[in-house]
Parts: sequence; C-alpha cells; structure tokens
Amino acid sequence: MDPGHAALMALLLAILGVFVVLPIGAVLKVALTGAEGGVTLSHLARFFVTPLYMESLANSIVAGLWTVAIGTVLALPLAFVVARYDFPGRMLVVTLATLPLVIPPFVGAIALMQIFGRAGTVTLLAQDLFGLRLNIMEGLRGIILAQALHFFPFIFLTVTTALVNVDRSLEEMGQMMGAHGWRLQRRVVFPLVLPSYVAGALLTFVKAVDDIGTPFILGFKNMLGPQAYLRITTVGRDDVDGYVICVIMVIISIVCVLASNWIVSRREYATLQTGARAPEQGRTLRGWRLAGVLGLCAAIIGAGLVPHLGVVLLSFSKVWSLSYLPSAYTLGNFAEIFLRAPRFVVNTLVYSVGAALLAVVLAAAIAYLLQRGRVPGKGVLDWIAMMPIALPGVVVGVGFLRVFYGITLPGIDQPLAATWVIFVLAYMVRRLPYALRASHAALHQVHPSLEDAAGVSGAPRLRAFRRVVLPLILGGVVAGGVLVFVTAAVEFSATIILVSRIEQSPLAYGIYVYSQSALGRGAAAALGVVAIVIVALGTYLANRLSGRGKMAFTL
Amino acid sequence: MRLQPVDVEVRGLHRRFRDTVAVADLSLLIERGEFFTFLGPSGCGKTTTLRMIAGLLEPDEGEVRFDGRDVTRVPPWHRNIGMVFQNYALWPHMTVHENVAFGLVERRVPRGEIGGRVEEALRLVGLEGMGGRLPSQLSGGQQQRVALARAVVIEPALLLLDEPLSNLDAKLRVQMRNELVKLQRQLGITTIYVTHDQEEALMLSTRVAVMHRGHLMQIGSPQDVYERPADPFVADFLGGANFLAGEVQSVTGGGVAVALEGGEVVRASAARNTGFAPGDRVTVCLRPEALELVPADEAAGGGNLLHGVLRLRNYLGWLMTCEIELRGGALIRAQAANPRVQLRFAEGAPIAVRFSPEDVLLLRNPA
Amino acid sequence: MRTLVRSMTLLVAIAMVAGGVFLSPARTSAQTQQVAVITSFPKELFDAYKAAFEKANPGWTMAVVPKPTSAAITHVRERAARPDVDIFWASAVDAFIFLKVNNLLEKYAPPAEFRRGVPDKVAGFPINDADGFFHGFAVSGYGIMWNKTYLVRNRLPAPKEWDDLVRPEYFGHLVITAPSRSGTTHLTVETILQGYGWQKGWELLIQMGGSMGTITERSFGVPEAVIAGHYGIGVVIDFFGLSAIASGQPIDFVYPSLTSIVPANVAVIKGAPNPEGARRFINFLLSDEGQRLLFKPEIARLPVRTTLYAEAPKGIPNPFKMQAGVQFDADLSAGRYNVTNRMYDQIITFRHAELKRAWEAIYRAEKSVAAARAAGRDTTEAERLLVRARASARYVHVSEKMAAEVSGGMDRDAAYRSAKEREWGEVARTSYAQALQLATQADDLARRR
Repeated sequence: MDPGHAALMALLLAILGVFVVLPIGAVLKVALTGAEGGVTLSHLARFFVTPLYMESLANSIVAGLWTVAIGTVLALPLAFVVARYDFPGRMLVVTLATLPLVIPPFVGAIALMQIFGRAGTVTLLAQDLFGLRLNIMEGLRGIILAQALHFFPFIFLTVTTALVNVDRSLEEMGQMMGAHGWRLQRRVVFPLVLPSYVAGALLTFVKAVDDIGTPFILGFKNMLGPQAYLRITTVGRDDVDGYVICVIMVIISIVCVLASNWIVSRREYATLQTGARAPEQGRTLRGWRLAGVLGLCAAIIGAGLVPHLGVVLLSFSKVWSLSYLPSAYTLGNFAEIFLRAPRFVVNTLVYSVGAALLAVVLAAAIAYLLQRGRVPGKGVLDWIAMMPIALPGVVVGVGFLRVFYGITLPGIDQPLAATWVIFVLAYMVRRLPYALRASHAALHQVHPSLEDAAGVSGAPRLRAFRRVVLPLILGGVVAGGVLVFVTAAVEFSATIILVSRIEQSPLAYGIYVYSQSALGRGAAAALGVVAIVIVALGTYLANRLSGRGKMAFTL
Repeated sequence: MRLQPVDVEVRGLHRRFRDTVAVADLSLLIERGEFFTFLGPSGCGKTTTLRMIAGLLEPDEGEVRFDGRDVTRVPPWHRNIGMVFQNYALWPHMTVHENVAFGLVERRVPRGEIGGRVEEALRLVGLEGMGGRLPSQLSGGQQQRVALARAVVIEPALLLLDEPLSNLDAKLRVQMRNELVKLQRQLGITTIYVTHDQEEALMLSTRVAVMHRGHLMQIGSPQDVYERPADPFVADFLGGANFLAGEVQSVTGGGVAVALEGGEVVRASAARNTGFAPGDRVTVCLRPEALELVPADEAAGGGNLLHGVLRLRNYLGWLMTCEIELRGGALIRAQAANPRVQLRFAEGAPIAVRFSPEDVLLLRNPA
Repeated sequence: MRTLVRSMTLLVAIAMVAGGVFLSPARTSAQTQQVAVITSFPKELFDAYKAAFEKANPGWTMAVVPKPTSAAITHVRERAARPDVDIFWASAVDAFIFLKVNNLLEKYAPPAEFRRGVPDKVAGFPINDADGFFHGFAVSGYGIMWNKTYLVRNRLPAPKEWDDLVRPEYFGHLVITAPSRSGTTHLTVETILQGYGWQKGWELLIQMGGSMGTITERSFGVPEAVIAGHYGIGVVIDFFGLSAIASGQPIDFVYPSLTSIVPANVAVIKGAPNPEGARRFINFLLSDEGQRLLFKPEIARLPVRTTLYAEAPKGIPNPFKMQAGVQFDADLSAGRYNVTNRMYDQIITFRHAELKRAWEAIYRAEKSVAAARAAGRDTTEAERLLVRARASARYVHVSEKMAAEVSGGMDRDAAYRSAKEREWGEVARTSYAQALQLATQADDLARRR
C-alpha cells in the first residue's frame, strides 16, 4: 500500500461520500424510518395501497415500455438496413438517425404539441382534409411519442453495432446448414443480436422513467417523477411519501441497470472473437429495392426530425394559433432570451462548465487510482462513482435538498441548497460516470511503460505525468468533460427539484417557466434551440476529441 | 560519447506480489562493462529484477548498489540509466527527435547541444535524418532503434534492455541482435538484458543468470550454463535434454558406469562427471543433438548404445527430430543436422541410439 | 510517485474548495442589498417589476422565487423559523388570509403618499386587509376569453354571459381550472354562486363542467390552451385575456354582466431577512411608477390608484366605474371557502369523465328528440325522460344551509372532511350515471321507428 495513494483515496471517498452516498442515504433513511424511529417498511407498503401512486407507477412503466416498443419499431428496420445493405447516403442515414439525441425530450414535447397537439399542424390537416379528429398528444400518448422520438437512436446505435459485429462466418454457417432469408435472420442473426438489444432497451427504459421534463411540459402529473416532485414541493420537504416514491424509482432503475450489465457481460459470444472475420461491406442495392430502402429511411428519419423542425419554427413564431404554420414571425423570442433574460443561458453555461471541470478532475483522479493505484479496496471507489448511473435525477435532487438544506455556508449565511453552487455539484454527481468512463478509457490507452520510460529518462513523476500522460489522455478526458457539460446543460429532473429562485435557474428550468406562461411558448422554443445547438456542438466535439466514430452518447 | 559505466550489485533482493514470490533472496554482482543476461521462462522474476534495478519497483527487502553506492531508494530519474522496453514505449505524441531529446531536456542540457547529440545517437542506430517522423510512421525495427537511441543518448551508466527483440520478426531479430552486440562492445557500457530466448542469451552475453520461479538457478558464462547445467531445469531450458533415471554402479578412471532403470548401462566420462560414488541416484542428461540413430544391430564401438523403436520422425529440411521409445519404456528425443542418413529408418522400425561418454552429463538427484 | 499523488490530491481538494468559495460571492455581491420575492405571477409580470424596481432603487436587487400559490405557501411555512424570502406576492386573497391566520405575515403600513387615491373598496370588496397584513396593489375582474380563429373554424358564436356557456354547441370546447388549484378561479366560482344564488349557481357550474374539454391544473393553463387553440373558450381572470389581445394573439375577452372585482395582493413575510427591502418593494408597487407598469400590454392589470385611469391605454377598462353585477361578499366567501372548493373537486373535477358522458348523451338525445318531433313522431315519453336526465346530471346534493353547517366541521376534522367528500363524490357519480342511463333511454326512444 502506498500512503500517498491512500490519502488520495481517502479524499476521494470523502467527496463521493458527501455528494453521492449521503444524499441517497438520506432519501432511504426518510423512506425507511418509522414515526418512532427504527426501520420500517410501512411507508413503502403504503405506496402499494395508494391508488394514485399505483396509477403513477403503472403510468411510468407503461410509458417506458411503449417508448421502448415504438423506439424499437423505428430503430430496428433502420439498423438492419444500415448494417446489411450498401446504398448511397448510408453514412448520412447513420448521422441523421442520431440527431434526435441532441434534442432533449421535453424540448421536443413543446414542438410536438404544436405539430400533433389538439391544434397542431397534423391534427388540423387531418381535420381539414379528411375530417378526422386526431388526438395524438393526449395524456400518456404525448409523453410516449416525445420520448420514443428522442430515444430510438439509442436502440438504433446498440443494434447497429451488434449487427455489424456479428461474426459473418456464423451467418455463413447458418446458410450452409440450409437457413436463408428470413429464417436465417430469425434463427441465427436475431438470437445473436438479442442480448445487445435487450441491454440497450433496458437502459432506454431507465432513461424514459427518469425523464420527468416531458410529463411536466405536457402537464401530465400522474407518474412517479412528477408525483415525487409534487409531494416534496407542495406538501413539504418532510413528506415521507415523496421519499418513498424516490425509493421506488431507484429500485426500478437499479434493477434495470443491473440486468442490462449482466446481459452485456454474458454477451461476448455474439461479438467478434479472435479469428472471427471482420464484417464485410453490405449487399449493394439497386432498383425498386433501393427506392424502398431509401423511402423507409426517409420516413423514419423524417419522423425523428419533426421535433427539431417544430422547435425552430416555434422559436421564430409570434402568433401560431390554429394554423398549419405560424401566422406571424418574429425575432423577439431570441431577443427575449439573449437580451432581456440572458440569465438562463448564462447560468446554464456557468453550471455546466463548473460541473464538467469538477467531474473531470475527480474522474481523472479516480481513474488514475483505479488503474495505477496501490491501495486496497479501490473497487469501492469505482462502485460509488458509477452509482449515479442508476440514480434518477429526481432522487439526486431530493437527496441534495434533504442533505444540503441543513448545511449553511459560512460567510454568505445561506443554506448550501439555496445557492447556485448546488446545481454545479448535483450535475457533477449526476454525470460523473460519463467522465469516469472517458478518463478510464483514455488512461487505459496509455501503457504504464510510457510513464516508466519517462522516469528512467530522467523525468520525475509529476513531470512525466505532465509531459507524457497528460497530453495523451487529454483528448479523452476533455471529451468526457464535454459530455458532462452537454448533459448537464439540458438536465431537467434534478434542476426542477433544486431550483429555488429564478435568478439561479438554468436553461432547462427556463424552458419550463416560459412554457408555463401563456405567451411564452415562443421563448421556450428559442431556449430549446439554444439547448439543441449546445448539445449538437458538444456531441460533435466530444466525438472528435475522443477520436471515435461512434456516438459518444452511448457511453 | 563519454560513458562512465558502473558495476551493479544486488543483495538479498526480495519482492512479493500479493501471495506469490516474484524474486526470492537474489544476490549477484554485475561487472563494469559486462553484457549480463537474465534468462528464464515468463514469470521467473527476471523482469521484476530488472525493474527493481531500474528503480521502477521498490524491493520488499534487499538493496541495489551502483559502484557500491546504495541506490535502493533513489528514484529512477536520478539513477542515470537508459532502458529499452519490450513495447519500446515510444511517446506517440512526440516526434523521433523529441523522443530522443526528452532525457536531455530533463537533464537541462543546453539547447544548442541537444540537436547534435540526438543526431549522433540516431546515427549510431542508423536512423540519421528520421528525427521529424512520428513513431507511428516507423516500422517495428525502426521503432526499436529509436528506443535504443533514446536509451543511450543520455550517456547512461547502465543500459537495461527488457526483451527488446521479442516484438520483431525472426529475420529482423537476428539482424538487430548483431547490431546490439556491436553497439554494446563499441560503447563498453554495462548492460543488463532480460530475455526468455536462449539463443539471444548465449549469443549476446558475457554472463547469463538463469532464473526459475523467482530463484537464481545458475550463473555463468554461456558455455558454462550450456555445457554444465547445474540441474535438469537449466539443462532443459537451455537447448533441451533427455533425462533418464539411474544409479551409479562403479566409478573408475575410464568413466562412470550408470545402470538405467531398464537395466542397460551407460558410461559417462569421468573427466566431466566428478565426485560420484557407487550407489548415488542420478539423472542421466543427454542432449538430443548428441544422439546418433543407428541400425539395431550396429556395434557399440566404444560409445554407448541404447535400443528401442523409432516412433516419430519430424522432417524439417535442414534438421530432423525423432522420438524413440527405449526398451524400458522411456521416450527420448534425438536430433540430427543432416537428416539424409536418418531418413533410412521408418517409423516403427527397431533402432539403436549411439552416443559418446563425453556427451553424457550426470546430475545428482536432490537428497 | 508520491509527488504526483500528493499534487493530485491537492488539485482535487483545491478544485472542490475553489469551486465553492471563489465563485459564490460573484453572485451574492456583498455591496448590493436585495429583496427576495416569492410569487405566483407569470414571468412577464415579475420580470417587468424586477427591472423597474432595480432601476428605481440603485444598489438593490430583486430576487424572484416563482412558485404556484400552494407551493409558495408550503415554501413559506417550511422556512418559518428562518425565512429566505421577504415578500409574498400573489393574486388570491385566501392565500394571504391563510398566511395571516398562521402568523406568517408581518404588519406594514405604507406611508400616506402611497395610499393616496386608493379607495377602501372596489365593487364592495375591501382592497386592503383591515389589520394591515396585506395590501391590494391591482384589481381584476373575471370573465370569458376565446380564440377567434377557433370559433370561426368550429362555427361557434361568441359568448357573452356565464349561462351562454351551457349551450349545447359549446360542448367540449370550454376550459377552466379547478378552483382548488387557483385562487382566482375560486373567486370566479364564488361570483357565479353569489350572482345566480347557490342552487342555480351550482346547476350552472355543473352543467358548464360537463361542457369542459378539460379542467387544467393551473390557472395559466386556461389562457395557454385558448391561445394555442387547444380549446376555444376559457373562464379566466381578465388580465389573461387582455394581455393576449395586447400581444396580437387572435383572442377576445368579455366581462359578463354578473362579474365581481377583487384585488391582487402583496405582503411582508414575518421575520423577513431584508425588512428594508420588503418595504421598498411594497412602496414601489404602490407608487405611481409601479402602478403605471400594470398598464403594460403584456401585464394588462388594473391599478388600485383611481387617478391613473385617465392615462389608461385603449381597451383597459376602469373597474371603479364598472357596474359589477355582483356585490362580492368576502365574508360569505371566506366562510365556505373549503366547502366550495372541495365540492367543486368532488362533483366536477374528479367526476369530469362521468359528467361529460352524461351531458354528451343528453345533448345527443335532445337532437334525436328534436328530429323525431320534426318528423311528427310522439316524443312525450322521451322528453319526460330527458327532463329527469337533465335534473340528475346537474343535481345539487348540498344545500346552502348544509354547506354553512358542515363548513366548520370540515375545517377542523380531517376524518369528517374525507367522509363528507366521499359522500359528495358518490352521490355525484350515481347521479351522473343515472342521467347517462336516462338520456340513452330517451335517445333510443326518440330514434325508434
């Protein structure tokens, strides 16, 4: 054991303990403590006999399942076509198919209301042309649509990767055994791809349940996340039910993440092994088959880009009421968010950059200890730091509120939870796993002998780190930081719990506030456009820096 | 280059990794200017020893001395050593020139001097003018040379080489081996070399230390360790050997007679095998290349003759190896550099192996 | 090795500490003083006041905590021991009465110059709290807003009075928010009850409830739905309609003849951390400058200072000259506050689906009956069933007398309250189910032959 390493580990454990373990522990404690103290399951039991909560649970699960189902219907054909055929514009299809990821689902929801809502473009068209009365965005359906259109690229990316990695010789063996066409797909290819798909689908489900922005924007309250929020904010910070709902959400999330990890760990048989043949170019398509495939891609991608179109249109609209397109346009919405109320954008940048910096420094230190550290029990560090991946944002927010409302910062005489620093810390915790994985991967690329070589060449450790290790890991680490920045910039779930005053609120909450004022949809959409630009630029940058063609978002 | 080589002494060096002992109580002295090789299979502790000498690893016990000065707690960057790693460990973000210049920069060598010394080092390894390239633009052999140039440019007191040739293809390996030995003789630098390849060890070294499971098995000149292996492991690891159990029958001036378990008697040269007494349990050690295949009815003619059946022939063109099952049931390997003679024998044919008493090495069985 | 680890440790520690310390004063600069305002008002309103207040009071900043009224009350209650806001700023009088009763407000008497030209009452409603705990700063009336495009698309006439809203053609096109969620809607409901009388008022409300396309969670949901065109006609407080018109949306608004006019209020929180700032804010709100801000098109509220109406922009009515059809009885309203809201929820909000189905069936049956009558068939039996269906679909189980009797008990005893609520809900459910059945029968009868 190295005493220096031990000290660093103690410091990291203390930080993670305060900002990860303590908040989640506080949530558990409230939910499991009886009225007279002592552990009790009675609060949890009450959850299951309260009709409203059971309805919320059912709604959350149903919405998540439908999101996955519709996402699958959109993603699978596209993945299959891209992985198995070669046709002009194939790479364009891949790029465009990932674009829905840059629009947060609650931003997309605003646009979808304008397209598919009661007075939306499509609804009006259907009514005027065919006399149909559509009601696509009503209740859960709207949430499912918004989430499915946002999340289907996750499924698309996992399945495409799995399909491309299926060892061709396995398929050829199947053909030699007499299976071809649909039977070959069903008997050989699908079973090989299935584990990846299920793992991806489970994570999509977790993200869908975690997303409370969409229900909020669409005004649907009977789901787990919104109920937890409503209990905590309107009934009170000491309301046990709010914490019980949090615990239920954590359980769902942890079960899914563990199941997904378990499946991934068992999945190696499906992917390339040593001696397996690299995938070949897909079959070239011609004639009506090509037309069919292009049509299919255009239809799916078109659906995926509807929210983008809607948001941009809405952001420039002054009046858009019961007409197919806005009837009056304006730049006023952008003037509003950049000139009159620039704090949303400024706050977002400050918080996200702060969270990214903290996360990167922490993650780099943790990754270094994990890979090079000589100290026992360092696995615990990894375990805790990765824990937030299974913690819904609402739960992080509630835990932070619980723990840090009692802590007053010296000098400014305010609870820590009431200052803007809380956002930086919460975002940092929530996205630490992204930064950690990026740092891990980057450091993994640097063989320890490179550091040793610098050592024997005369460079003391710190100089060796600065001159050799740092330049080599910088790209990956910064990519991780950018990812933290991007996801923090559109974080809604934790934000809505933590936000106390409008001066401190970031963009995501700003979108909510604007969308809650009768005339603010345009400004909300303008903020949405800013969010899209931030996410798109950041994702592009992260991919460039990490030097991988793959969407870093799938981390 | 003005090198001032050191001698290296390790005393009672001991290192554990969790529950396994990597290096156990190792003591030896490496002379100034020597080309010293640690030889052994993977996991024998040779690399661990090298890393402790480099200062990259701290020993649990024992000490490392350069010219008698205790450097055990001195970090690698203060030991003035050059090292070539198995994977070369070239820094991918630096050019060849920057890689080689790195140590000079760290040593605060005046800027004007660095360029000349880097060029000199590159010339020494035959890479003049390649300074502007990135490591990724070089072949494996060229990367190896850069690593070597980087190690010697700082005029180290000691050069450490950790399996530097193992990542090269066979042809290049032979070529680099020759260049390496030339360079070392030219610079006269104390060099410690780690390898699992016996040919490299025998060809390059002034002395070889054979290691096994953390222990030093034998130390000596290449000829010593090959000709007079201290135990079956060394004999087998260096060149390979057949081992037959037996008991000393008689010791005379003409030779030592050993009765094998099958009842046949083998005579060994008394000059080579001294200190045996009748009744000693021994292992008879026979090099495959010392065994000659002859027809079963051939006369012994002053040599030893063992009878058996030819079980397997492996024809390699310039060489043939055969497996013979002796009458007692033991399998031995024979090897002939001129296979045409041996091709006369068919698999399954009764056969005899003939060898001179000079080629018989007796190893005392541990009590 | 050690050096590296030591520096890394240091770096992490410094980053964490610096993150907290170096950045935090940047926001809460020690030089400026601030007033923190918790409010349910929309962004347009508090943004305008923030800008103007900070301009008028150099060195002062105004921090805003936006919350729905109910969440704002929770916020104040939870932090009573150490308040972090100075001002409570909202419409609903009930919220202020609740805070006052629970000893969460601080008395304040604005200097005389800020009370000049402010009458004691507007349309019979007191503008300020008699004990000085809260102060009206603007007044509002209640009315009906509609989307002109929507009405054209759906060939609907514009409504004028509350009872226009129960016309069958408006079925499914109306939108309202539950009075329990919105103080302003509660006052609208009270206005209707006081204007039409308890029995007829509830019948109107229930039948109107049947015509609602949706009942929103928050009051702004109504103008939002109407502006976006999700629904055509909304029951709202006037400024929602007036501001939408002012910002160019295809909206119109009308005050029915039976309307009431009530103030929106402001109060100082007890133990406010910045009492000086709180006083400054209220004074600013009541100053000429603060009052004039209300006229801004995106705010469109009516000042309490009567002298300013001479400079009111076009389209802004003077409530002090309006004939409010209802002399609003605040004591009556406050006395049965709980009963009204809970009754509305139990028999309308929570039974909206059943209520809607019942009225849909009735309107359909009425059409069938009319058609049958035109065809010369005998519709006596069908009409008789319809009369019963209508009565059942707007059955008022609780009389005004009963309401007064149970009110006190409901306030005190939670078990009694939930028993009463269950009873009302059950009666409503069975009545509406019966109405549905009767109307379906009538429809079948009218269509037969």
